[in-house]
Amino acid sequence: MANKENRDIFLSVIESNKGIIYKIANSYCASKEDRNDLVQEIILRLWQAFEQYNDDYKYSTWIYRIALNTAISNYRKEKVREKYFSPIFEPLLELEDVGGTTELEQTYSQLHQFILELKELDKALMLLYLEEKSYKEIAEIIGISESNVGTKISRLKNTLKEKFLKEKYK
Amino acid sequence: MEDTNFVMLWKEHYEKIDQSLAINKKIIRDLTNQKAEAVMQLLIRHKKRGIIAVIFYLLILGALLFFSTTDYKSEKNYFIFSIAAIFIVNVKALYDYIKHLAWAKKINYNGNVTDIQQQLTKLQFSIINHAKIMCLQFPFFTTFYLSNKWFPQEVGMGYIIFQLILTGSFTYLSYWLFKNHTIENLNKKWFRNMIAGSGGKSVVKAMDFYKELEEFKHH
Repeated sequence: MANKENRDIFLSVIESNKGIIYKIANSYCASKEDRNDLVQEIILRLWQAFEQYNDDYKYSTWIYRIALNTAISNYRKEKVREKYFSPIFEPLLELEDVGGTTELEQTYSQLHQFILELKELDKALMLLYLEEKSYKEIAEIIGISESNVGTKISRLKNTLKEKFLKEKYK
Repeated sequence: MEDTNFVMLWKEHYEKIDQSLAINKKIIRDLTNQKAEAVMQLLIRHKKRGIIAVIFYLLILGALLFFSTTDYKSEKNYFIFSIAAIFIVNVKALYDYIKHLAWAKKINYNGNVTDIQQQLTKLQFSIINHAKIMCLQFPFFTTFYLSNKWFPQEVGMGYIIFQLILTGSFTYLSYWLFKNHTIENLNKKWFRNMIAGSGGKSVVKAMDFYKELEEFKHH
């Protein structure tokens, strides 16, 4: 019973924070297959850690930490996960076709490409900045000082602006 | 483009996505119900297979040692000594491997990103550092078949020289690998190639990532 209750709470936490998981998977994986695998691995890690969830932190902070740690360490793994994760073929997060031909979507795909090209930790930082997290919260999730967060984000923003300018005048 | 525009662009894109994003509750229920356990079992099985293979190997070595010592004859000295050395090296390697698995299990992904990633990369380095002990068994593969009964008194000088060169070069090779199998050498191209060639690409990636992590924390 307790397990069922736990599972229901877990499902509602995932439901309310599905966007975070999707955004992280999308920022760390270029292909749909890799993204589905990563979503699955993240949800599995979250479920395994759910019993030890510490309510000193918000659910979103807890999810960011676990999902980012999973995504970053996933990059170092050799491609063996297909073997482990093959039992589940259907995606855990389903996305209806949202279209992608507008100017906004084209600019977004440039931004997405830029994020994909970033180093693993810079990617995490950029993602949290775009999610409008405070420097304090970013520092808590990443584990560096607030001033360091500020310096790095401003550096990343400058690189991003330069890239966009280059694209514009190509 | 202004900063706020990047944030707005991100927001607008994902607002649209959020509306059409649905979680597959049934699959997640299954995943948290039995499949989480099943997937974990698959991961554990992969590691268990390695452990079982080494245990099986140790059992064979142990049996050989047992039978050769219960029916001891001095002519078996080379064999007993070589198999005992190979046995000890493999017991130590197995002990280290299990210790690392237990360490890996303790790492909680709930911690902040830089701490957890540092722990994970340190774990990978420690595995590499401990794996080098396996090199120490190489020379004993060139001595176990010798016997006091015929070596060296009944063989020609040519064979003695051949045996000395063989065991000597394996001893040097094992010493050299043991000495050079260090994290510091992960910077060197030949070592990276050697590690990557033997399926350790993830370790090479870990080293690059560790540097990135150090730089990230301090710059």
